[in-house]
Amino acid sequence: MKTKNRPILIVLLLVLSLVGAQCTPKPAPEATAEMPAEVTEAPAEVTEAPATEPPAAQANRASIFVYAHPTEFPDLDPAKSYSNDSVIMSNCYETLTFYNPPGNDEVLSPKLAVSWESNEDATEWTFHLREGVKFHDGELFNAEAVKYAISKTTELGIGAAYIWGSVEEMEVVDDYTIKFKLSYSAPLDLIASTGYAAWMYSPKSYEEKGSDWFAEGNCAGTGSYTIESYERGSRLVMTRFEDYWGGWQPGQFEKVVFEISQDPVVNQQKIEAGDADFTYELPPDNLEALKANADLVVYENPSFQNLVGLLNTKKPPLDKVKVRQALSYSFPYEQFITGVMGDRATQARGVVPAGMWGHGEELTQYSYDLDKARQLLTEAGFPDGGFKLLMTYSSGDLDEQQLGELWKAELAKLGIELEVQGMNWEAQWDLSKSDPLQAQDIFVMYWWPDYVSPFSFLYSMFHSEESILFNLGYYSNQEFDKLVEDGDVMTGVDKEKAAEMFIQAQQILLDDGVSLFFYDVKNIHVARVDIKGFVDNPAYPHVVFVYQLSR
Amino acid sequence: MRWVEYLLRRLMMAVLVLVSVSIIIFVIARIIPSDPAAAWVGPRPTQEQIAKARLELGLDQPLWVQYYRYASALLHGDFGTSVRSHQPIATDLKSYLPATLELVMAAMFIAVVVGIPLGVLSGAKKGSLLDHLTRLISIAGVSMPTFWLGLLLQLLFFSRLGILPIGSRLSNEIALYNPIQVKTGFYLLDSVLTHNWLAFKDALIHIILPAFTLATYAIGLAIRMTRSSMVEVLGENYILAARVAGIPERVVLFVLALKNAIIPTITVLGLSFVYSLTGAILVEVIFSWPGLGSYVTNAVLSIDFPVIVTTTLVVTVFYVVVNLLLDLVQAGLDPRVTLQ
Repeated sequence: MKTKNRPILIVLLLVLSLVGAQCTPKPAPEATAEMPAEVTEAPAEVTEAPATEPPAAQANRASIFVYAHPTEFPDLDPAKSYSNDSVIMSNCYETLTFYNPPGNDEVLSPKLAVSWESNEDATEWTFHLREGVKFHDGELFNAEAVKYAISKTTELGIGAAYIWGSVEEMEVVDDYTIKFKLSYSAPLDLIASTGYAAWMYSPKSYEEKGSDWFAEGNCAGTGSYTIESYERGSRLVMTRFEDYWGGWQPGQFEKVVFEISQDPVVNQQKIEAGDADFTYELPPDNLEALKANADLVVYENPSFQNLVGLLNTKKPPLDKVKVRQALSYSFPYEQFITGVMGDRATQARGVVPAGMWGHGEELTQYSYDLDKARQLLTEAGFPDGGFKLLMTYSSGDLDEQQLGELWKAELAKLGIELEVQGMNWEAQWDLSKSDPLQAQDIFVMYWWPDYVSPFSFLYSMFHSEESILFNLGYYSNQEFDKLVEDGDVMTGVDKEKAAEMFIQAQQILLDDGVSLFFYDVKNIHVARVDIKGFVDNPAYPHVVFVYQLSR
Repeated sequence: MRWVEYLLRRLMMAVLVLVSVSIIIFVIARIIPSDPAAAWVGPRPTQEQIAKARLELGLDQPLWVQYYRYASALLHGDFGTSVRSHQPIATDLKSYLPATLELVMAAMFIAVVVGIPLGVLSGAKKGSLLDHLTRLISIAGVSMPTFWLGLLLQLLFFSRLGILPIGSRLSNEIALYNPIQVKTGFYLLDSVLTHNWLAFKDALIHIILPAFTLATYAIGLAIRMTRSSMVEVLGENYILAARVAGIPERVVLFVLALKNAIIPTITVLGLSFVYSLTGAILVEVIFSWPGLGSYVTNAVLSIDFPVIVTTTLVVTVFYVVVNLLLDLVQAGLDPRVTLQ
């Protein structure tokens, strides 16, 4: 008996010591297919990894900027890139004009173009280019290159190429002057500052080497850094372009390393240990701990991204204005923002996010008012609710999921049953493009502008569409359409006036209760405390212009 | 001649399997609600762009035409183009496949070296302390969630002790100043081939944690399977005879008995190997290992159907080959098994 019991006792002891030795908090749940969105509880304190490299390597480390990036880079071809690869593109390539971060008096500043002017109705634009600029392959930047880049991008026609849709003809006046003739008025200076499809790349390299060469991890732009090596799914290394037209000062970074690192907990450990200098998309629950960390700086800035809930204006009962307005009064904005989003969002006012031109501080902002909602429902003929609604959102997005849960509880109080369904984007979009009477009632999604203009929000999501693309509330209002179209034309001529028109248009949407405007997303970036010079620019999401930084 | 006949027959079966799998996965990927033309264009497509892309990609053709074009391209070495990245899938595979193979092979190596001897000893000394401990390790190995274990190991070895890196295949220092000349894509091999010893050391240090994390499940499997087979085999008469004849116990266990006991184990390990080619996704994400698992998972989430189909076929090829090898090994080890 005794000998039989001993092993069992020892085993029990071992098990207990194993359990006791684990000085970790709750184990993370098994991840599902929506891996990258996983949020786990990381330990609040992590000691810094002791330095094990010799001093020489450490000195080198100081001149390298390491960006732990949470997604991979799909396409590095400057003519096609339309995704998170802009983080890379923005350091490798440059645009003609540059959209300034908030706080600047001017909206745009010169980049590869030093000055520009247009005719009265913005159908003809002339850009004067910077002289003495070289591409990474040694070729000179000039008007021919601009013409080539824009033509090629338009010819390939994917990604954001449509932004050049107004360009009818490009005339090379001389080496450093190029004239654009447009088939309709457009704000070409604004368009030229876009973070997609507006990069200037070397005609020689693109002709001779083709798209695949760029996508493999090569760069032929005018930017301050060029790509040195690219290990797919793992690491992209950029190195200084010595002949950069802006020149180099001591203290600027020699190399930039983009580490593709998809797990937020891992990124947090990296930046806390100093292995990474910059990152974003860390677990929101750890924000407080990060802010308290003396080695880190948490940058909170408004972005140009917001979350909307487009209401199906074709499907009863949402085809009635009062019902839609009632829905707008039924959402618990404050509770959601403070309880779920915390510092990561602010309630939206209108379609255009705060901080972007065209935002209207005087626009109506719905608030949480169940009595008002009940009153409107009664007026519409639904005093006790009594109908069902389907809300679709992007599966894996925890914020949207919680939004749905909260809203469901509130609508239940009005007698409305809300079905909250998370779907893969492809499936969600596919459903919405089917017959509106069979589709969802509420389509929840994020929107961000391609080039910085209210037109992107207003046209894409609310302009009448013959075949459904992104107007997923199927809204159709002639007056609104005209206002938005005219506003776009006005943008090239008088931006202030255009802003007024766009604000008017937004008020129409608010009066019609066409959509819920949940919140404006805030950008949260975390950097090491010794990194100087970082200014978040919402026009270029998550981009770090490493040229401006020093340690 | 029997072998040749057998091989030929197996190859024919393999081709049949591949064709069937390719048809099934192609159809599934194409009937899932999605718009590959729009995905090709980008996140903000216009109707004109979508229409143009639909023609370019041949998506207006009937399904069987699309399949035929895909299959004939494949036979010519064109593995298709990713809808998301517009890149030839072959280029991606050249980078992701060796990375995964290196990781999974390292994990299997650890599993074999640790799991099988433990299983043998455990089976031999049934009921002893070692046996109990080993069975505990085995159960722990198959029960611990990989995701959790990976994070735990990172916390211990990177954050607390600082002796192992947090992830990736190489450190930034080596990648910048002592880069490996990539020949096969297997960093351990390439660094040896190019006499880059610093890089070899670096690659080795980086593969330890992910390989070990991945190996725990296989270790658990190996221990259990080997132990139960051993217990069975050790009861045979010939083992008793060998012991009586004075053959050293080491030889009895690890040569005479293991030879018969190992077949179920290597079968299971072989299948585990192929499963891990894409099943290692959790380890890949935690340790930022650029492997096939994350590649195909991203493709599934964005319904990048060319990548899904091609990767499935690649993995199917591995299944077929590994199955064939396992059957051959089994026939080689056990004279009772004939090639049928």
